Amino acid sequence: MKHFLDSLRRSLSAKLSIWVVLFTAMILLASLFYSSYVARRYVRVEAVQRASQVLENSVLKLMNILEDVELAADNLEWLVYRNLEHPELMMDYSRSTVQGTPGLNGCSISFEPYYYKDRYYYSAYSGYLDEDTIQTVQEGGDDYQYFYLSWYQLPKLLNQPCWTEPYCDWEQDDSSDMQTEKLVSYCKPLNDPDGNFIGSISLDISLNWLSKTLSSVQPYPHSYVVLVSRGGTFLVHPDPDKLFYQTIYTGTLLDDDPELEALGDSMLDQEEGMRSLKIDGKRSYVFYTPLKSTGWSMGIVCPERDIFSGFNRLRWLVIGIGLLGLVLMFIVCFRVIRQTLRPLSNLAVQAGNIADGHFDTILPEDPRQDEIGTLSRSFAHMQTSLVTYIDELKRTTAQRERIESELQVARDIQMGMIPRVFPDKGDIDLFGVMVPAKEVGGDLYDFYVLDGKLYFCVGDVSGKGIPASLLMAMALTVFRVAVQQAPPVTEIARQLNEALSAENDQLMFVTMFIGAIDLKTGRMAFCNCGHNPPAFLRKDGKASFVPSEPNIPLGVTPGYVFKGQEVDDVRGIPILLYTDGLNEAENEAHEPFGNDRLLEVMGSAPYDDAEEMIGRMNDAVKAHVAGAEASDDLTMLCFRINH
Amino acid sequence: MKRILPLLLLLVLPLAAEAQEHFVFTPQSSAQAQFAGYYAALEKGFYAEEGLDVEIVHPFATQSAADHIREGKCNATTLPLTLALRTVAGGLPLVNILQTSMNSATVIISRWGDDPLTMHGAKVTSFRAGFGQSARSFVEMKGLDYEWIMTASAVNLFIAGAVDAMLGRSFDEYYRILETGIDIPEKAIYRFENGEFNIQQEGVYVTRAYYLTHRKQAEAFARASRKGWAWVADHQEEALDIVMRYTKELRVATNRILQQLMLKEVLRLQQDHDTGLREFRVRPDMVEKANRILLDSGSLTTPVTLEELLP
Repeated sequence: MKHFLDSLRRSLSAKLSIWVVLFTAMILLASLFYSSYVARRYVRVEAVQRASQVLENSVLKLMNILEDVELAADNLEWLVYRNLEHPELMMDYSRSTVQGTPGLNGCSISFEPYYYKDRYYYSAYSGYLDEDTIQTVQEGGDDYQYFYLSWYQLPKLLNQPCWTEPYCDWEQDDSSDMQTEKLVSYCKPLNDPDGNFIGSISLDISLNWLSKTLSSVQPYPHSYVVLVSRGGTFLVHPDPDKLFYQTIYTGTLLDDDPELEALGDSMLDQEEGMRSLKIDGKRSYVFYTPLKSTGWSMGIVCPERDIFSGFNRLRWLVIGIGLLGLVLMFIVCFRVIRQTLRPLSNLAVQAGNIADGHFDTILPEDPRQDEIGTLSRSFAHMQTSLVTYIDELKRTTAQRERIESELQVARDIQMGMIPRVFPDKGDIDLFGVMVPAKEVGGDLYDFYVLDGKLYFCVGDVSGKGIPASLLMAMALTVFRVAVQQAPPVTEIARQLNEALSAENDQLMFVTMFIGAIDLKTGRMAFCNCGHNPPAFLRKDGKASFVPSEPNIPLGVTPGYVFKGQEVDDVRGIPILLYTDGLNEAENEAHEPFGNDRLLEVMGSAPYDDAEEMIGRMNDAVKAHVAGAEASDDLTMLCFRINH
Repeated sequence: MKRILPLLLLLVLPLAAEAQEHFVFTPQSSAQAQFAGYYAALEKGFYAEEGLDVEIVHPFATQSAADHIREGKCNATTLPLTLALRTVAGGLPLVNILQTSMNSATVIISRWGDDPLTMHGAKVTSFRAGFGQSARSFVEMKGLDYEWIMTASAVNLFIAGAVDAMLGRSFDEYYRILETGIDIPEKAIYRFENGEFNIQQEGVYVTRAYYLTHRKQAEAFARASRKGWAWVADHQEEALDIVMRYTKELRVATNRILQQLMLKEVLRLQQDHDTGLREFRVRPDMVEKANRILLDSGSLTTPVTLEELLP
């Protein structure tokens, strides 16, 4: 099963086929539901009409029977009243009434005890049907006191004609065996001229006969007629265990059955209607109508299975055809889609080969003009483009590697130009670093001790990268050459300016701080050529910037006269020179390190030596930028002239 | 062995039957679960074990069981205690050989939902054969001027609305009324069991004359009947099968569900309120109570003592 599902998951044809079939199935199902709903409604309406017609006919049939009985009772009553003084005629009246009334099982003319004073205590004259013959019998005796029975007492108590509840009547035959018949009787009271009850007449109908007569018509194969009395007892029912022995409520005595109770209430309330409920475990429709004059109610029970049997057969047939159609549709869809997608399968295999690095794989040509054909051609084009791109990439990568290698060499050369060896900490404590932002940078620093003076400079070439590095190398060379003649710092500045201005088509420039300190007196002369002012640590431990008069940067204006400044004695004072890669170093939020921070860090601890000061500053900058890419070269030079 | 057994039975049964005493038992009314214990005793062979050849003869609906025993048509019958007292007072000494009921099953049910004890002048059915004596005496004591309609078809008259109330029994007519769908609120039912005159009803009686001459048979019938009731209490479904065979044979207008409810209620009424046990004895206090109600209503002129009823 798992293998089958995996196969389905891997097969686009199967997936598409399933989706098509599912979608079609949904449409079919919706159509089936709707058509079933409509058809079922029509079938139901037809069933109602059909059952109502049968019910109406059955009621008419029953009413004819009952009217015949009631008419016979009226005639008998007339005869009895007319010949009340002739009891010997009563037996003949009973016999003739049974004989002349179809469906009648028996007839009794019964009188109160000793009504005929010259006769007997019991005066009941009865004729009854015994198979095909009519028997007569004088009823009553100590074992059969008829005046305690319902068919006698009801007309007496109600003083009006009425139908009794069903009862079982006993007849003793010649062999002394008791014979019984389940009956229901129509009774009329007999009154004397003063209105006093003197007896009753009762005409009996056999329930078995009634059941047989009314059950002959069935609207559906398993439908049946029921007739319930005023007390709910079944007067007509095909089940002999229910006929006479049960009421419509019997099943509800032990187990609640609200549907059945509601049907019983409705029928006994003499309502007309139709209800759907479970009867003997089968969902059925019951159509019922009252028989007003009797208090009875007649119903036709039609099992739902019967009513909808044709409809259900048709529905299952449609479902079967639909399912078969869906299976066929799946097979056809699967084959057509698989055939259509076959180039895609081939393409997938070839794409796999290309992905494995076999760029020379030859793709099959697809002449079709549909999407699959377009996809194949596009894929072939993509393969060609891919091969070209990869070749280009290879070439570019090789070039970049070579440039990177050359830049590394340039970096080594540039770093080699910057002094790496610093004086012992005898009279000069000095340390410097330069960190280019790219492979090579435009910052520079240098120092030189000549004739008891310390010459130093820190510069920053405009721009970055290779152009800046070349100008830096040039500036550094000019500085070193100029220092050899021990000129004033302004002269050094002038020489640098002139050298850098010449042939400066690129309009590049250099900011630079140039200084010279007499190691004996501590007097410092300096010239600031558009550079950041150095910072120094005062005796109170706080840092400040060296006040300096700015000049223009070097290389901008040939012939410019630079102004110099002097400080009397800088011995014992730590001085930090730097480029803007320090105070303008930015973090991810583009916040600069700042001058204030620079001074704060510088004065944050007592001065130990120049290397420690630069290390501390470097750590502070790194903490500030927090990994953000450096945007500028960073150069620092720190020194202190000792006494 | 299976083949031999029928042969043995054929040989033994005629001999056993020959030795058995014929005994006619007439229950108070037609076949129903009220008499399940006796049917069971017959069907399960408890009577035969006691050497009795019992024949159960049911009376017709309008016949009185008391008349049957009075006329010698049966050897034993079941009677309510109050009817037994009246019968003895009327000159037919009876002996209670087995008291089955320990409580009154009598109920008065109003047709129109009223409290039966407030229905002055109402037409109320009472059974021609039987058990209504204590109720009628009680009603007279209460000063309710019911018009009693003696009938054998109380339920039918009740359904038709021909009467205002009916006297019935909690195990029989009460359920038959419920089966017709008529809604009976509890306030429309007066249950004697819960009132001051809870007087035990069915007991098995023989005439004292018969008892004196056939004491052994009478006691044997009582023992077997009691055994039958014990069996019924333990095998109610099987007992119902037996009852339904009787009702079908006699075409009694009933069904298994009604009989099931009836049997359950009859077995409940056999339990004494105080002990919760089926004691099968006549309670002296109930004899005294029955005497009192009959004397007060004028149905008796002199009391019938417990000793007069017991062997």
